[in-house]
Amino acid sequence: MEVKRRGRLEIIADILRSIHDKGGRIKPTHLLYKSNLSHAKLKEYLEMLVEKGMIEEQVVKGKKAIIMKEEGHKFLLEFDRIKEFSESFGL
Amino acid sequence: MVFENIPYGPRSYVFSPEWFYGFDSIIELIAIIVSILLIYYSYKCFKLTKENKYLYFSTAFLSITLGFTAKIIGTLAIYKPTITRTSIGSTIHEAFTGLTPYSINAIALIIHFFFMLLGFMTLFLIISKLSWKNKRVIVLLAYFVLIATWISVIHYQLFYATTFVLLLLITYSYYQNYREIKNEKARFVTIAFGILLVSQAFFVFVIYSRIIYVLAELIQLLGFVYLLIPFILIFKKKPKNRGL
Repeated sequence: MEVKRRGRLEIIADILRSIHDKGGRIKPTHLLYKSNLSHAKLKEYLEMLVEKGMIEEQVVKGKKAIIMKEEGHKFLLEFDRIKEFSESFGL
Repeated sequence: MVFENIPYGPRSYVFSPEWFYGFDSIIELIAIIVSILLIYYSYKCFKLTKENKYLYFSTAFLSITLGFTAKIIGTLAIYKPTITRTSIGSTIHEAFTGLTPYSINAIALIIHFFFMLLGFMTLFLIISKLSWKNKRVIVLLAYFVLIATWISVIHYQLFYATTFVLLLLITYSYYQNYREIKNEKARFVTIAFGILLVSQAFFVFVIYSRIIYVLAELIQLLGFVYLLIPFILIFKKKPKNRGL
């Protein structure tokens, strides 16, 4: 059976979708479990997403949470459109 | 009507009844607009994802756009010879001194044949998921496009017969795609190419009746309208509940 590796964009979309599915706020441990990435890799991606303004990290009552920002929502919408376009037009 | 300039050389064709003059160009303009939307979005996808399949898809529709543009220029040369009396028209005409409206039409049709065949062939290659790494296949198909263009110049029916075969293969691939993903938009894409396939079948017989040309053009218009529907549906998609 062929196992297709996720590309960089798919990984970003999966991370953002995990946050989105949890109402826009997720615990880092939960995200680590959902994203199916190593701790180091996830940290690398999260730093990049913070830099791009797609997410932000907040500490509420001593607990860390990852919050999705407007740019993250925009990316996810565009990613879904590209995916649909690609599927519909057989690409 | 067939205007022959050089024996076995480029020919000038006008199949439209006079009352339909210009309407076919409007239909082709609509096809160009739909194609440009697809070029724009697939190129945008390429810029975002860096995946070559999007670039090839936009190239296929760019080729189709150039093909339709050439046809519009060619037919308008016959429909509107008075264009050459305007200042812009005369400037353009001076640049092509010696070319009659019929020779402009004949040259434009060769360009139309070439780009339409190239566009549909590229589309066929993309959706058939043929490997672009196989250069020998690409070279062979490029040769096939050139040969088909050359023979189409002598026998226009071969052009429509070739586009019919290409569209048959494209439609079948899209049908397979639809069966696989069971998506409403994929269904519209399949129907759109199916309609374009029927229009090509009508175009093969335009020499026998001018009304067939009108029907073929109208069916072609319907095909491009259907091609626009999935595109609109994708863009109608609103962001889901944003949560917090």
